[in-house]
Parts: sequence; C-alpha cells; structure tokens
Amino acid sequence: MDLLANLAHGMGVALSLNNLLFCLIGCLIGTAIGVLPGIGPVATISLLLPITFGQPATTAIIMLAGIYYGAQYGGSTTAILLNLPGEVSSVVTTLEGYKMARRGRAGAALTIAALGSFFAGTVSTVLVAASGPLLTSVALSFGPADYFSLMLLGLIIAAVLAQGSVLKSVAMVTVGVALGLVGTDVQTGQQRFTFGIPELSDGVGFVSIAMGMFGIAEIILNLERPESRSVLSSKVGSLMLTKEEFRRAVPSVIRGTALGSVLGILPGGGAALASFGSYMMERKVSKGRHEFGTGAIEGVAGPESANNAASQTSFIPLLTLGIPANAVMALMVGALIIQGIQPGPRMVEAQPDLFWGLIASMWVGNLMLLVINLPMIGMWVKLLQVPYRYMYPSILIFCAIGVYSLQNNVFDVYQTVIFGIFGYLCSKLRLEPAPMLIGFVLGPMMEEHLRRAMLLSRGDWMVFVERPISATMLAIGFVALAAMLLPSISRKKDAAIQEGG
Amino acid sequence: MKINTKDMVCVGLLTGFALIGLWLNMDHNLGSARRMGPGYMPMLTFYLLLILTAGVFFQALTNGPDPLTPWSPAEIAVVVAGAAAVFVVYYAASHAGGWLGASWNPLGLALFVGCLVPSILKSWRPLFLVSASFALFGIILEPLGLMVAIVATVVVSALADETQKPLGVAGCAAFLCALCWVVFIWYLDIRVPVWPQLS
Repeated sequence: MDLLANLAHGMGVALSLNNLLFCLIGCLIGTAIGVLPGIGPVATISLLLPITFGQPATTAIIMLAGIYYGAQYGGSTTAILLNLPGEVSSVVTTLEGYKMARRGRAGAALTIAALGSFFAGTVSTVLVAASGPLLTSVALSFGPADYFSLMLLGLIIAAVLAQGSVLKSVAMVTVGVALGLVGTDVQTGQQRFTFGIPELSDGVGFVSIAMGMFGIAEIILNLERPESRSVLSSKVGSLMLTKEEFRRAVPSVIRGTALGSVLGILPGGGAALASFGSYMMERKVSKGRHEFGTGAIEGVAGPESANNAASQTSFIPLLTLGIPANAVMALMVGALIIQGIQPGPRMVEAQPDLFWGLIASMWVGNLMLLVINLPMIGMWVKLLQVPYRYMYPSILIFCAIGVYSLQNNVFDVYQTVIFGIFGYLCSKLRLEPAPMLIGFVLGPMMEEHLRRAMLLSRGDWMVFVERPISATMLAIGFVALAAMLLPSISRKKDAAIQEGG
Repeated sequence: MKINTKDMVCVGLLTGFALIGLWLNMDHNLGSARRMGPGYMPMLTFYLLLILTAGVFFQALTNGPDPLTPWSPAEIAVVVAGAAAVFVVYYAASHAGGWLGASWNPLGLALFVGCLVPSILKSWRPLFLVSASFALFGIILEPLGLMVAIVATVVVSALADETQKPLGVAGCAAFLCALCWVVFIWYLDIRVPVWPQLS
C-alpha cells in the first residue's frame, strides 16, 4: 500500500539521528513550557524560530511541532497537581484533575492524561497521514477564486471561535492583513507603507510581531500580576490505574480523540477549543457524569485526549492547503517561508521528506513524551519551583538574541519593542492578538489570489459566487458570522468559554 | 450607563489606524478590479476595517459597562512626557554626529529614554522597564558586545520586579551569559560581537 510505503519513508526520515535529537529537544522544551504557567507554545515557538534557521527545514518543523504537542502533555501536570492551568488547553483539566489529586489519585490522573494523549496522538497521526494526500488532490483543483474564498473562510472562523467579541476579532484579523501589506508590492515593485525604511521593504518582521505580542507582552502582564503559584501540596501517589478507572476512562478517551480530531481541523480551532468541547461532552454523556465535581476520571481522560488530537490534526489544513488554523500554525507558515518553502498543496509531492517525516516524527514524539512524562514526572514538578523572576529575564534575552540574529540588524529589536507595547495595549483593550497573527500571514497570499482571480474573470466579482467551491466556502463563512452575531448564540459561546475558564 | 469604555477606546484606535492607512494609501495607484494596482487591496482592507469599527461602535453603545482602570493624572503625565522624550531624543540624536546619529541608534535611544521616563512611577515599571531593557539590548549589542548587553538587559528588566534580590540578579545574569555563549556562540555560531569592540 502507498500509505504504508510513505509512512515507512517518513519513519526513515524521522529516525535519522539529527531529527530524532531535535524531536526530543522539541518534546522536552514543549513539556517544560507546558508545565510552567505563564509561557505558552506561541511565545516559545516564536522565541526558537531564529534558532532553527541553521537546521534543515524538516528538522526545524519536527522540533517546532514537538513543542506544540509536547505542551499539551506538560499542561496537564500543572493542572492536576497545582490546580493551575499550565496551558490554556488544560484549563478544564484543573476541574476534575485537581479533585482527583486531592483524593490521592494524582498519579492515576497523570497516567490517564498521558495514556489518553498517546492514544489520541497515534490516531490523529494516522488521520493526518491518510487525509493529507486525499485533501491535497482536492486542493490542486482549486482556482485562485476558490483559494481566496477558502482563506476568507479560514479568517472568519478563526475570528468567530476566538475569545470575546466576534466583531473585534474580525477587526483584528483586518489589522493583521493590513500589516501584512507593508513592503514591496509583488507585481509592480512599488514600496507600500514603508516610510522609506529599507528594512520594511521585505515587510514587517513576522518574528518581531509574534515575539512582541506574545512573548514580551506576556512577560509584562505576568509581572503586573503578583505570583500566585502555590507550594506543592499533594503527593503524586501511585501511577497505576485501577481496573475500574481504566474501564471508565476508555470510552472518554475515544470520544475525546474523535472530537479533538474534528475540532483541530477547523480553522481557529486547536487544542484549547477541543478540550473545552470534550469536557462539555463528557459532563453530558459519560457514565460517570454524576461524579463530576468530585474528581471524575472521565473529565481528565476526555479533554486531555482531545487537546492532543487537535494539536496534531490542526496540521492538516497547513500541510495540505497551506492555510494556518491557529496562531501556532501561523508561526509554522512563517518558519516554512523563511526556509524557502511555500506551504500549499504541492508540498506533499515537492517535499515528501518534510511531509512524511513530520508525520512519522509526531508518532515518535508521542512515544517519547509518554516516557518523558510518566516516569520522569518528579523532575517536572521540581521545575515548577523555579520562580518567575529567574525565568523572565531568560525569556527576554533569548527573544532579543533571536530577533537580532534574524538579519543581524538592531532594527528588528526595536520593532519588537514597539509590538510588545502594542500587544500590551491590545490585551488591556481585549483585542485578541491571535487572529491578527493569522491575518498577517494570510494577507499577502489573499492579495495574490484575489488579483489572479480578478484578472482571470476580467474584473467580474461574480466569479466568487459562480464557482461552486468558492460559493460554498463563502456561504459557510457567512452563516458562521451571522450565527455568531446573533445575541442568543454568542451568549452561549461566552458561557461555554466562561465555564471553562 | 451601558456604554462599553474599553470598546470605545478600541473604536478610536482602529479608526485612527484605518484613516492613517487610507491617507498613506493615496500615494498608491489603485488600478481597476481587473488589473489591481498596489493600492487596491489596502483600500479594500482599510474600508472593511472602518465598517467593522462602526459595528464595534454600535455594539459598544449597549454592551457595557466595561470600565478601564482609570489612569491617575500622574500616570498620564509621565506617559505624555515619555512620548515627548521619544521625539526629542530621536531628533537630537539623528542630528548629532558620530555614533549617536549612526544607523538605528537614534531610534533605539529614543525608545530607551522614552520608556525610562514613565518608569519613574512604580505602576508603569513592568511595562516600560521591560520595554526599555529590550531596547537597551539593541543599543549596546553592536558597540559593547553580547556579554555586556545581557548583563545590562537583565539588570534593567530586574528593576521591573520588586521581588528581585541583587544576588539573584547577579546569578541570573552570570548564568545567562554562560548559557548564551554555549548556545549561540559555541554551538550555533551566530555572527554577533561578543566582547566590546576595541576601535
């Protein structure tokens, strides 16, 4: 079978010594930032982007992917032991996981979180592998008009699913698109919005935006809040599950995996949404639902499986269509473009090493994470005792060196300062930075497809409605937007997010 | 009152952004829908932003109250002073000869001084001292090298957090110098001056 041959090829790539090493480094860093509250995968990946440039593209992506799904494993540890979410996606794990820990079943909760994640990781890896070539062949039949509509749909859904006001999120997407327009116009070579600054002719620095708005702004906000990390109270206890716990967790893991896989593919979806969704579902349908609130294992097994499944399936739109589903994937697009690879449907054929190597590495990485997380749990708990006052100067320094080494230009450093202050302002005003980053990445691509589509249609805007694929995308986007603007539904969404947070 | 103050500030910010964008876009040839010029997509984007902002405005009339934590007069005054300092320092440095006016130094110095001014007030320290320390890194890096830049950035950013102790900061700086030397100079071999340049 073709798929097996390809996966075998991918295994060959993933198991090369260098890739294996960087996969391990990615998983270790991912677990570490997952465990530590106050630093998330978006900030970390933008921090480490410059460091990966010296590596081949495949190695770089393998490592960055490892950070993302590694963070899903690590996040559960803090949630269960400290009642603090290490990551946004493990917010709901605190609800049941911490209660389990207080009953002395912390070990069991950690085990089921890791095992569930591993199961979900395995299933979703196969899913990515199977759907990749399939979706790619569909995507190759897309014309520029279809692409434009698809990206528009992606942006709309990303904004609709973001936290807070839909209109403000769409506005932030637009701001991102506008920032993406800075630089040399591809077709005429004219400089746009560069103020005569040569450094801006290649566009606003992508890494500067990501580091400023996610890295620096986060540090500032964390410093404004007094440190709330409490001393570890509970002991981990036995890692073994009882038969009863195992029997109850299995269906939740399967449901969580299925739900997470689906929500991960959606633009704007990803790990956080998946774990919220799964928690809601478990509370309604699982056998142990009457025990929710007292430490039901289903409430840990479902969401933890879901967030890991989603973190992997969210690679599907990126690898097959070149469209980032969330902020982390937007960073991956940035990483690929800087490496000279244009993400899109041709990537599967043009870069088989990257595509299959990444997929195989996901499974290898999940296996590593299982080992990293379960027997070595004590080490990660120790990491939590490092106070934030030693961590943030380190993050700052790594940001500064990384952003400078991009082009050996201090202009990028100053640009990052400006985006840091802007990011702080945005978070005070509840303007979401994640939709902006996705808009920034997609903006230039959208302009190109729009121009091409309009040239082919001789200036006729109806082309977007006449082509069936494009029309369908626009219709879905319109319905999603309209539905969220209705007060009753948006209240429900807010309630769901509130309940989780 | 049900007016959403936060959203109203957003409206002001976004409208300003869109209007400035449209104004700057007047330099660019629009072209036609069939052959889009460099100004076509920006035009669409900024008009869309204006429409969306209008939407936010009408929502904000009713979905409040969502008050911002008000700034004290002193806080506003130092921010204005800082912004003024940015312009003054930038103008002065770019007209000064030698190192001060070279390449991006005026911008770096302006940002650094502009961020230091509001840091007089304790409540602004996390925001502006962290930003200032980052700008300081850029100023110091090329003339004085990576090691001095790391120490300076760690020290300035440490002032932003009251729980820091001198010994901890020193240890942190020493640790980071060693770590960065191993990672960036020895392993990744990035092109960056490490020690002060003797020229």
